[in-house]
Amino acid sequence: MTIITHAQVRTKLSKVIDLPGGISVGVALSRARTNIESRRAQAEAVMEIEIAGLEGVAAPTTLGDQPFRLKEAYRAANGVIDAASPFELADLCQAASGLCDMIDSARPDLMFDWRVVKVYARSLRLLQTLPLDQAGARNTVLDSLKSVADRKLQPPAA
Amino acid sequence: MGEVGESLRETSVINLGSASTMVVDDSTFGLDLTCQALLGFGIRTQHACQNAAEAMEILSRHPIDLMVVDCEMPTVNGYELVRWLRRSAGNNAMVPVSMTAAHICRSKIAEVRDCGANFVVTKPFSASTLLERIVWAARDTRPFLEVGDYFGPDRRFRDLGAPAGERRSAVIRKAAFDAQQSAQVAAGLES
Repeated sequence: MTIITHAQVRTKLSKVIDLPGGISVGVALSRARTNIESRRAQAEAVMEIEIAGLEGVAAPTTLGDQPFRLKEAYRAANGVIDAASPFELADLCQAASGLCDMIDSARPDLMFDWRVVKVYARSLRLLQTLPLDQAGARNTVLDSLKSVADRKLQPPAA
Repeated sequence: MGEVGESLRETSVINLGSASTMVVDDSTFGLDLTCQALLGFGIRTQHACQNAAEAMEILSRHPIDLMVVDCEMPTVNGYELVRWLRRSAGNNAMVPVSMTAAHICRSKIAEVRDCGANFVVTKPFSASTLLERIVWAARDTRPFLEVGDYFGPDRRFRDLGAPAGERRSAVIRKAAFDAQQSAQVAAGLES
């Protein structure tokens, strides 16, 4: 196969980053965190909408309907990750990402066990309402989801 | 400081204020969050786009220095936008691109690898990870390759070996920055 190599021309970004002035990385991160923190209430509202949306996705009744329903659930779980991620709500992101993995592994020729979506929706709701300092309870929710995923994703017995 | 693959040092100094930046995300809130993080880094987002078509229109008319693109978007997704950028955006074709993704489906992994972005960051990521990738993108000296359908940075960058140590220019700029900060504090105390 032919490979054409273009020597990388120095980008403007690579030049401006070294210009005199600017700010230290520490200051930049501190300002970014403050700016992001100012959006926490909005993020919580978005998470609420996405979790409610996930709870509201109706189970598909036919294989033909299934991709659309799964896509709706996947989009809601993605929305949770988008809103929770900048606030380092790692457990919410992990739970939502787990649902995305489950949906990603859905087979088009089999009906998806919709109880999985319901369990993840309830777990996300629980993680959203549990105080952040209740690490034990939060971890229990994640452990339960992990056991659901392990059961559902394990290869069929030979 | 901040060579590709290296963690950022809190004391390193960066100057991204004059970089013409575009953020593309279909979610209004996601777009705002990214712009807020960038603002903290000293980057004022010039072009905040909610779809690829809007981004393409701007890219064909204005020079851009940095792009932050969300992977999942309806109609034309982030991978397709970056692929278009590399092939069709003329002077902007080699713009550093950091992509962000909430979740990447197995079916999309090849698309992610082959679209030509400099880096892809999966969520959850912190402000420091985003800044790190932007600095890496600025320091990215990989040549661009055209191989079959692929046009983008050489993806074999892991073969480069250990990153370099502290750059002398960074040390000098840090000293100047500290002196400037001290002078400002002193001026504040006097007034």
